[in-house]
Amino acid sequence: MRVATQSIVMAILCAYTMFAAGPFVWAAMLSLRTTSEIHLDHFALPDPMHWDKYPDAWFNSNYSIYFMNSLQVVVGAVILVTLIGAMAAHCLARYRFRLNRIIYFVLFSTIIFPPQVTIISLFQILVGYGLYNSKLGLMLVYVAIQLPLTVYILESFFARIPADLFDAARMDGYSDWAIFWRVALPVAMPAVTTTVILNFILLWNEFLFAVVLITDEANRTLPLGIQRFIGDTQEDIGMIATGLMIAIIPVIVVYAFFSEKLIQGMTAGAVK
Amino acid sequence: MAKAGRPAATDDGVRRPWGAILAFLLPALTVYMALTAYPAFRTLWNSFHVVLPRRETFVGLDNFVELAQDDIFWHAVRNTFVWAAASPLIEVTIATLLALALYAKVPGARFFRVAWFTPVLMSYVVVGILWMWIYNYDWGPINATLRALGLDGLARPWLGDPDTALPALILVTSWMWVGFNMVVMLAALHSLPREVIEAAELDNCGWGGKLVFIILPLVRPTLLNLVVLSFIGKMKIFDLVWITTKGNPLWSTETVSTYVYKRAFEWSTFDLGYPSTIAIVWFVIVMIAVLALTRAFRVRDKLEY
Amino acid sequence: MAVVTLNGLTKRYDRAHPAAAEDVDLEVADGEFMVLLGPSGCGKTTTLRMIAGLESITSGTLSIDGRVVNDVPARDRDIAMVFQSYALYPHMSVRDNMAFGLRRRQMPRAEIEQRVRDAAEILGLSTLMDRKPHALSGGQRQRVALGRAIVRDPKVFLFDEPLSNLDAALRVSTRSEIAALHRRLQATMIYVTHDQVEAMTLGSRICIMNAGRIAQVGRPMDVYRMPADTFVAGFLGNPPMNLIPATVTDAPGGRELRFGPNRVEVPAARTAPLEAGSAVTLGLRPEHLAPALDASDSAALWGEVVTVEPLGAETLVRVHLPEIADPVIVRAPGESEVAIGDRIGIRLDPSAAHVFHADGHSMTAAHHQARRG
Repeated sequence: MRVATQSIVMAILCAYTMFAAGPFVWAAMLSLRTTSEIHLDHFALPDPMHWDKYPDAWFNSNYSIYFMNSLQVVVGAVILVTLIGAMAAHCLARYRFRLNRIIYFVLFSTIIFPPQVTIISLFQILVGYGLYNSKLGLMLVYVAIQLPLTVYILESFFARIPADLFDAARMDGYSDWAIFWRVALPVAMPAVTTTVILNFILLWNEFLFAVVLITDEANRTLPLGIQRFIGDTQEDIGMIATGLMIAIIPVIVVYAFFSEKLIQGMTAGAVK
Repeated sequence: MAKAGRPAATDDGVRRPWGAILAFLLPALTVYMALTAYPAFRTLWNSFHVVLPRRETFVGLDNFVELAQDDIFWHAVRNTFVWAAASPLIEVTIATLLALALYAKVPGARFFRVAWFTPVLMSYVVVGILWMWIYNYDWGPINATLRALGLDGLARPWLGDPDTALPALILVTSWMWVGFNMVVMLAALHSLPREVIEAAELDNCGWGGKLVFIILPLVRPTLLNLVVLSFIGKMKIFDLVWITTKGNPLWSTETVSTYVYKRAFEWSTFDLGYPSTIAIVWFVIVMIAVLALTRAFRVRDKLEY
Repeated sequence: MAVVTLNGLTKRYDRAHPAAAEDVDLEVADGEFMVLLGPSGCGKTTTLRMIAGLESITSGTLSIDGRVVNDVPARDRDIAMVFQSYALYPHMSVRDNMAFGLRRRQMPRAEIEQRVRDAAEILGLSTLMDRKPHALSGGQRQRVALGRAIVRDPKVFLFDEPLSNLDAALRVSTRSEIAALHRRLQATMIYVTHDQVEAMTLGSRICIMNAGRIAQVGRPMDVYRMPADTFVAGFLGNPPMNLIPATVTDAPGGRELRFGPNRVEVPAARTAPLEAGSAVTLGLRPEHLAPALDASDSAALWGEVVTVEPLGAETLVRVHLPEIADPVIVRAPGESEVAIGDRIGIRLDPSAAHVFHADGHSMTAAHHQARRG
């Protein structure tokens, strides 16, 4: 009886795993097959494996451009939002002043904002400043949209650093500014890493703001590139699949190395 | 959700180093003001105007009046709410069951956890394309399976049929987010005090009893949080729809987000005022919904004590 | 090396609450080991943090070597502090923890290394220099915290309950190390504790605080022998001094006190004549009470034994006296055979008695002062 229930449970779990991971495995298989092979049988194993499709997509379908654009915009935005967010979070966690909780609440509450509230005017504003259709403009917007979450996660971590540590650093002769860089930030490194990874993945996958704020082929990020690619070559399933894998691989690599950190970041605040 | 009111660290009584406080906050506040607060207010301003390139005309509440009679908008609102109501139920229920299975230490729990979490790592663009293929009428795995089972009559263009398109997309978001919810639930389960569960075992509580009387009540705050998070996420949904159906067929998958985008950047009206009105009204609706949701949960929380 | 002078030092967080420290006057001499002692919330830590520069001063002046430093930031006061929680930087090695304060001061690298090495030598940390704090035991962390202060060679050392996180055995050994350190460095040290054993053993002088104010300052044994008020009398000493409410009789001399059926004549050396009928408090240390040997001793106070705590070398006996609410504590010899419920007589030594005015201040101490002055 017990064995029977256990087998049923395992069967269900395995079935769910097929459902959860199947599409990804299928896409990986498609990415190594040519479109004509795929049209013969959509579910066959890749044989032979066409690894050359990756350099082909990279060099001949502009994926190198999309990838490097994504990398520039996302890495730039992550660095900026981490620094700016950490400074604000440290300040809100450490100093007591009248506006403290108000600022924290205002920042935090924007997590709920539907993006439409800002996106139309951001379009106008960036056009006004000549930042429309530029990587810099998109990067700054990315900083703004990830700032609330970053401050939220880091503030709760900074607030747990004992105040004695800062007092000790003051006695050791350091200024507020130096204490942030040489004590608070290094001590908060675990939380900082978490936000870096989380922001990286969320922004790497970001689509809405990119599609509104970028039109130039030369400035497209990966999600935009893929979208354009399916528009152009709806039928070239094999190449599209290769493109999808190019977009997924960096995220999978990050996940492989930092899965615990990432899960911490994504679950932060959800567990009470 | 917000936990305001926790006092900040000590420093009380030391002359406040306003210079340092300002230096630390200034970059964040600048970014916030320039790229969040100012745009939000500009959208509000837009909503009372017709905003054409280089020409802005005040029209008072005209946009709002028009919106009230805009059937597509209300259709989009309905679709979004269906989505935002169905998803949390599906996601959190499945996720809780899966998390309980892993909590019970089934073999291979680590592998399952990693495998189930992966969908959420992919962008909606990638997910959308993948699922367009999965739902493909001619060769998608779903129809292929149905035909292989001799159920040809059930095969259909899942995303092309107004009756199935929205449920099909809801299934996609659930596929993506169940893993995330499961991981959070698992973390919550693991943070439960062991003694309480052991005490229940001593009280001769079976698995079912433990679940209903001990575990679920203890993880209730997490469950409610997940429901709210999932709800908020679905109220914002855009990418998936835009990649797969663009709101088609027959507005059956139109969400407020896609409609705003269409009115602002796709339709050749060039007017940014009306879509801003939609955004503002939608913002108010979302706020009320989220507040109502958290309020409803909070009231029930109080009853328990 | 420095003289620290507190002049009317006051700390008030807000108008609604009483001051955390009020009107604190204290002069800590060069090379002195001053202990601030008191129960939690008495203002001793607030006072210490004002000296450190970690709390602003509401009013009064703080000077070091005659220079007012109220508005000098902590980092420029040349003071080192050892925290209760040690506050070691968790991301730095032991070496870096100690060197951190010196690096800010633009000291040549070689000298920093020399100082860190010397301090590590003194504290026996030389083999642990590359460890991070989480890889150290509690006692070792405590030494690193001390080392961090020593390398700075500051004008003043501050200690905020540095031993309270150590276990009992380690507390005793670290206590004597701190005493040795003071002898070796001859530096001005100010040490906050609620532990009277630490205060008595370490302090050149102790400053007892109560409710934000100084109750008494003096050398440990002086304070013990002549507590200035009932608070100090009750706080210092373990078990504390017995404080018995009494009334002055109208017997000639004005030195006879009555409590319940008992009468005690206090010697002239212990108090000036008292006003007949006034309410006073009679203070008697447990070691100045002893069980009566003779069962018919008429001078003894008679009462009923409430509790008996045999401690080995001595036995603490609590005795309920007629009409007195709190039982008096008697320090009896270790081998005393008393049982709960026994009626026993207590002999007291009137020449060691203290008399306190109704407002709490010691008339014995005042009399003593007057006779000496």
